[in-house]
Amino acid sequence: MSKKKFNLSDITKSKIFWAVVAELLILLVCLIKRPDFFKISYQPATGMLYGSLIDIINRSAEITIIALGMTLVIALGGTDLSVGALVAVAGAIALKFMRWDVLVYNTPGDYTVKPFALAILVPLFVCVLMGMFNGFLIGVGNIQPIIATLVLMVCGRGVAQIVTNGKQFTTQYSPFRVIGQGHFLALPMPIIITILVIIIMYIFVRKTAFGTFVESVGINRSASRLAGIDATKVIIIVYAITGLLSAISGLIYSSRIMSNDSNNAGLNYEMDAILAVVIGGTNMNGGKFSLAGTVIGSIIIRTIVTFVYYFGIVSEATMAFKALIIAVVIVLQSEPVRNYFSKKFAKNNAVVKGA
Amino acid sequence: MANKSSSKRQTFWNKVFNPSFIMVYAAILIFLIIYAFGAIMYGKVGFTTLRTFINMFLDNSYYGISAVGMTMVLITGGIDLSVAAVASLTGMIIAYGTGVLGIHPAICILFSFVVGIGLGLLMGATIHYLNVPPFITTLTGMFLARGVCSLISRESLTISHPWIDALAGWKIYFKHYVDGEWVKVKPIAFINLNFILFIAMILIGFFILQRTRFGRNIYAIGGNEQSAKLMGLPVGRTKVLVYGFNGFCSVLAGVAYALYVKSGWNLSLQGGELEAISSAVIGGTLLTGGVGNMLGTLVGVLLKSVIPTLITFNGNLLSWWGKIATGILLLIFISIQTFITNYTTRKKI
Repeated sequence: MSKKKFNLSDITKSKIFWAVVAELLILLVCLIKRPDFFKISYQPATGMLYGSLIDIINRSAEITIIALGMTLVIALGGTDLSVGALVAVAGAIALKFMRWDVLVYNTPGDYTVKPFALAILVPLFVCVLMGMFNGFLIGVGNIQPIIATLVLMVCGRGVAQIVTNGKQFTTQYSPFRVIGQGHFLALPMPIIITILVIIIMYIFVRKTAFGTFVESVGINRSASRLAGIDATKVIIIVYAITGLLSAISGLIYSSRIMSNDSNNAGLNYEMDAILAVVIGGTNMNGGKFSLAGTVIGSIIIRTIVTFVYYFGIVSEATMAFKALIIAVVIVLQSEPVRNYFSKKFAKNNAVVKGA
Repeated sequence: MANKSSSKRQTFWNKVFNPSFIMVYAAILIFLIIYAFGAIMYGKVGFTTLRTFINMFLDNSYYGISAVGMTMVLITGGIDLSVAAVASLTGMIIAYGTGVLGIHPAICILFSFVVGIGLGLLMGATIHYLNVPPFITTLTGMFLARGVCSLISRESLTISHPWIDALAGWKIYFKHYVDGEWVKVKPIAFINLNFILFIAMILIGFFILQRTRFGRNIYAIGGNEQSAKLMGLPVGRTKVLVYGFNGFCSVLAGVAYALYVKSGWNLSLQGGELEAISSAVIGGTLLTGGVGNMLGTLVGVLLKSVIPTLITFNGNLLSWWGKIATGILLLIFISIQTFITNYTTRKKI
């Protein structure tokens, strides 16, 4: 039985360690100030579990799902700024099918005109196409990712407005409500969807060679091409996946509000998703990535927001507070600081061994 | 002698056909095409008047001022997402300082400069000394500035101070000589403080980039940071100062915006950082660093303002077509840019 040697300096060198430490610290402060913070209760009337922890994971679903795709994008050495706009596009298209009555037939209340499947599948399909467009610009056109995705970021909200003629619809269609507000096995539906996405992504990335391809292209594109990897195809697939995940996130968002909001849906999601990925320990320069780290990063971001709400800190302070905590995490994770800590721990180990 | 002059001519032509300048020419050409299109379609309703042309500068002066600092940051190979938030914070400080605390606006503006430049320097130091990616550092800066904005006030505050009114109301009218006296051009066209700030910042930026050691260091760092370091250039100092200068530009943009709308709002200028970045990119600045030109940025700002003007003159199109047109324009430019850079690098090999 070979046991892995427990080495403190290795662990403190890894970025995920610091992310987990930060998350635990925030939760610890929560627990000290409010002993009932971790309490989870079951409500038989609705059949759902309630509690702050559930709420944190539930509300982080949109960012987590996008951030999983963003992890692959960043592992390729790129950035996708268009995800927020794609969230708006997905919501707008879904609501267009949901409110076909208003737009086309002028028979209000007739929700069965279009099959419900179209309201779900068409947004997914359109966003995959938009993701492929990003991938095409980056992979085939050799355009810088930030600028290439900026095109759709600027255009996307315009497209979302045109789809719905600039109107904002609400819907009461109950199957659609299930996506964002329903529950399964006593857990809110967004959590179930997130878990499913995580599992599928994990299998796709780690149980096939695709994850290795992504890392290889991210580290050195021409070397991977020489090694026989079709780098262009990998890039297009990764951006298409991100588009698909943005669409799922957009459907969850619009289902939560039962409406479309082309101006505010997914606003700053790209920033939050990138932050989640970076806090999770994936390097912005590309290369190795960690899906688990991303999930933790996304949960940290949501925990901070919940923290602010919970402690009656004026809600105006949320953003400043978020910035401060993120700044601390980033400084802790930065190379010089990590090296300093790992050196210190290594020294301690040596002293212990010497004695 | 002849030999010398011919080589001189060659360097002149090389200079003219420098890939970084071709982007500027492409931007000017597309601007002229769009302007000519507007002139043909809406010339009768006043598209070609001096007023319309000057308004293109006036309505986007704050983005232009911000784009000056942004161009420098992009040339070093970095990025700054905090500019719009800092500009918004400036407006907030002026509004809150004059309206609620009763402080003279000049002191508020001075204080904003301290805050903006301080934040810029801090971010620059984090980027260089802690090796944190610029995108993440400045994103945190953006959240911080927006958060402080919201802390000051969630509602829009109006700025009403005679000093600010005097600054905002100060105008120079264009006049022409008719029948022995100077008469205002009709329709009335004027330039104001924002216009002068915008043009002055473009000129200052041009001077810094082309004529000073600091500017050459910026290009050198953007070209290859490692070689710049090995050459003994002050990489750390230059990078930190560039972010500081960008902070200065953001605050100045905030002042211009405050003069333009005379109010402070915590959500104002949302997405403005991408406006500044895309103006610089349309003007030929490469995000990988090392290539860029201040005149290109000027044309980029003009190009981005001619599209809304066209949409306004059309009157039937809805404003979100502007977003789509801007996106398509961006796509055209980056395609040209990529084509040119691919072509030149292939030629070198």
